[in-house]
Amino acid sequence: MPTRPSLSFPAGTELVFGPQASRRQYISDRLSDVTRGWGFSEIILPAFDAAETFGDADETELYHLTDREGHRLTLRADFTRIAAKALALELRREPQQLRASYEGRVYRFAPSGHGNRVEHTQRGLEWLNAQGVTYDAATLLMARECMQSVGIEGAVTVVGHAGFVNAALGPMGAGERRLHEALDHKNPTRIAELCSRIGIDSARTRLLAELPLLTGGRDVFARARALGLPPEAETALGVLESIDGLLAQAGAGAPLYDLGEVRRFDYYSGFMFKVYHPLVGEALGGGGRYDRLFDRFGMDVPAVGFGFNLARLAEATDHNPYAGNGEHIAAADAGALQRAVAARAAGRQIRLGDA
Amino acid sequence: MLRIALPTGRVALQAEGFLTKAGYAPSEPLSQTRKLTVRSQCGRVEYLLVKPVDAPLYIEQGVADCGVVGKDVLMEAGADLLEPLDLGFSRCRMVVAGRPELERRMDNLLSPVRVASKFPRVAQHHFAKKGVPCTVFKLSGSVEIGAVLGLSHYIVDIVETGTTLRENGLVVLEEIADCSARLAVNRAAWYARLEEVRALVEQLSTAVGD
Repeated sequence: MPTRPSLSFPAGTELVFGPQASRRQYISDRLSDVTRGWGFSEIILPAFDAAETFGDADETELYHLTDREGHRLTLRADFTRIAAKALALELRREPQQLRASYEGRVYRFAPSGHGNRVEHTQRGLEWLNAQGVTYDAATLLMARECMQSVGIEGAVTVVGHAGFVNAALGPMGAGERRLHEALDHKNPTRIAELCSRIGIDSARTRLLAELPLLTGGRDVFARARALGLPPEAETALGVLESIDGLLAQAGAGAPLYDLGEVRRFDYYSGFMFKVYHPLVGEALGGGGRYDRLFDRFGMDVPAVGFGFNLARLAEATDHNPYAGNGEHIAAADAGALQRAVAARAAGRQIRLGDA
Repeated sequence: MLRIALPTGRVALQAEGFLTKAGYAPSEPLSQTRKLTVRSQCGRVEYLLVKPVDAPLYIEQGVADCGVVGKDVLMEAGADLLEPLDLGFSRCRMVVAGRPELERRMDNLLSPVRVASKFPRVAQHHFAKKGVPCTVFKLSGSVEIGAVLGLSHYIVDIVETGTTLRENGLVVLEEIADCSARLAVNRAAWYARLEEVRALVEQLSTAVGD
C-alpha cells in the first residue's frame, strides 16, 4: 500500500501564507520603492554558486551540494559575496558607479530545536565605487527610510567600525579567535583573562575589557578617547564622528554607537551597522562598508550596502494595507466575468469565487 | 519593562538575594510563589521563572531580555547571547573525570573513547577539539555511575567540592572550564533597551562586588 507523503517541511524553512504573506509583500514593495527612489536597479542573482565564492564564510553555516557533473556548489548564504562577483564582470567591462538592489532567499544552517530559521528572505542593496563618508551616511539614511516606509517605529540603528576593534586588538590580539569570541559576547571577565594569557599589555587590556561598555550615544567617542587609543582606532573614530555630523546635517536623529562590535566572518572594512527592534529577538538587518571585497578579483572597489530580513521586519509591525479582500463576485452569477473585467479596468480589487 | 529569566531552584534563590540588593526585589518571595511570572517591587522588571536548561532559549528568542544562567548551561545550550557580567555565585568546574588508572594521554586514538555526560554538547566539543574520537552517552543524572559501572571511560560533569567523585573512586583528569552564574543578555535587548539593561548590569555588578 502506498504511504501518504509527509505534510511537513524540513525544520527552519520558510513557509508563509495568508495575511502574513500579504504583509511581507507590502514590506517588499515599500523597500523596493525606497531603493528605486534612490536610483538603484534590480539585480537577479543565482541561488547557488561554486563553493569558493563562500570560501571565507562561516563553514558551519553553509549548505553544500554536488551537481551531476561533480561540481561542488554552495547555496547562497549571503547576497554580497555573490553580487560582488556578478558586478565585478560589469565593472571590468566599464569602471563606473553601480547601484544594485536585490531580493531573494539565503540559506544558513542552524541547529534544530532552538526555533532557528535556516531559510531567510532578504532585500538589500550594493553600492559600488562609493568612496567616502557621504556614502556611509547615505546608506544609513536609506536604511532609516526603509523602516519608515513600512511603518516600523522604535527601531534602533547601532553603528560600529570594523577598524576600531581591530586596532584595539593590536597585532597580538588580532589572530586570537577566543578573544574575538569574548568581545563578540561582551564578556569583560573573559576578555581580561585571555589578554593576560596571551600577554597583551595592561593599557590595551584595559581598553579591550572596556569595549563591551562602549555602547551608547555620541558620548562613547569621548569615553573611548579617555582610555587612550591606538592611531588606527582614532582614525576609525574620526569616520564615525564624520558620519554622525552628516546625519545631523541631514536632519536624521543620532544612531547608537557600539565601538565593541565585532563580526568574525564578515567582510566589513569600515563602518558597519545593524538595526534592532524591541519586539524582535534578532537584528532586522544590517550592512556597512566593505572596501576589500573586490581584492580577490584584482580590483579596487570601495563599496557599501545593506540587507534586511523580511520575516523579522514583518515581526516588528502589524501595519498591513494589503490585507483587504476586495469586492466579492459570485462565479455562478450571470455576467460575473463582465463585472470582474469592469471592476479590474476601474482598478478595484475583486474576489471572484463561490458564494 | 525588562523581562528577566530566572532558573527555578538554587540559582533563583541566590540570584534573588543579589537582585534585591541591587534594588530589584521581587514583589513576593520566589521560593514561596507558584506563579511563573513575578514583578519586581520597583516595577522596572518582570521575572520569568523557568527551568534552568530552558533559560538560554527564552533569552535567545527574545521572550526574555536577559536572565541569570549558569555558565555550564550556557555552554551546553550554545545559544548566541551576550554575557556582560559574571555574578560569581554557583561556582563549579566543568571537568573530565574517570577512574584514576586512566590517563588521558594514553587515549587510543584509533577507537572512540566513551564519555557519559549531562552535557553531551560540551563533551563532544571538548574531545573533538583535542582530536580524540568519542562516543557520547547523554545521561540525566548520577553521571558518575557511568564510569563506575563501565558504561563509559570518562564522564564530563560539573564538580563543586569533588566529594561525589571521591566517594565513587573517580578523579578529575582534566579541567574544561570554570563555571558560575552569569547575566546573559539578548543581543537585540542590549541595544533596544540599552538604558534599562545598563542600569541592571551596573547595579548588579555593584551588588555582587560588595
